[in-house]
Amino acid sequence: MTLPKGFGSGGGGGTGSADVERMIGKRVENMSGFITLAYLAAWGATFGGTAAGYFYYPWAYPTNSGHFAFIVLTIIESIGYIFCIKVMQEGSNKNSNRLVAGVLAFTAVGTLYISMYVGF
Amino acid sequence: MAQMPALIPKEVEIQRLKKIWLMILALGSIAASVEVDNFVDGSLHQTSIRDSAFTPAHWWLYSHFIALPLGWSACAMYDRKVPILRGPNNSINTGLKMTILGYLATMFTIGINEMWHFWFVEEIFSVPNHWMFNMGVVVAFMGALAYVVRIYARLIELGAETPGENPYIAEMYKMALEGKLYSRTIP
Repeated sequence: MTLPKGFGSGGGGGTGSADVERMIGKRVENMSGFITLAYLAAWGATFGGTAAGYFYYPWAYPTNSGHFAFIVLTIIESIGYIFCIKVMQEGSNKNSNRLVAGVLAFTAVGTLYISMYVGF
Repeated sequence: MAQMPALIPKEVEIQRLKKIWLMILALGSIAASVEVDNFVDGSLHQTSIRDSAFTPAHWWLYSHFIALPLGWSACAMYDRKVPILRGPNNSINTGLKMTILGYLATMFTIGINEMWHFWFVEEIFSVPNHWMFNMGVVVAFMGALAYVVRIYARLIELGAETPGENPYIAEMYKMALEGKLYSRTIP
């Protein structure tokens, strides 16, 4: 197999496992932390966005509407988070189920708390 | 299904395709956020007819319309590492091209929109300066769908994902893999 410049043994040999690892860089099954941070950032941004609506324009965008959007989007984001982690780790021996369960429990409690006590 | 030639090792290609998938999901989240702000900004404009370009609802909307074309362009830069995703004549992938052009249209419409509202102080949803916001997003969504399906079809071909059981879905993946999801003549 032809490899990009700088990889392989200079034309004579094939693809070594070290070359493959160098071409891959950070493997997707090791990105659980990054995906988790991205999910939490998205969740926080969802809260921030809806809060901008009901704190700045309460006459135009009622708090209840904001919380409804926040809850629906949190559910969608959670499905996306599970989907990301599972797809990235399929076919490997990595398993982040406990991390996913913990993070989802945190956002579930956080979403309930915000929906009941913030913005009224 | 025609087996495409492998130009990079299979494991490398799977990893790269999945990294592109992560980027697309992040960009899809931003697009979903724009849709939420569509309602927030729309609610505001129903009460205050025209405010200014610098309101929280507009910061939210406009920053995303700048982040989306830049984000998809970053995706296009990484996309060059996967030969199967090249478009006709080794150009940028057609779906990706549509997505970037669609979001670029929305980005430039920010300026067009402000010029319009400088002269006409109203905020009716259907005014012409808003058309390109909506058309740009629709074009971008169409392109992104073609791109995502093509990536998924390649992951199926590489054995990393399970093919769909529905024959119509399977046919769609087959068309996407051949670069003919929307047109049989233009790859």
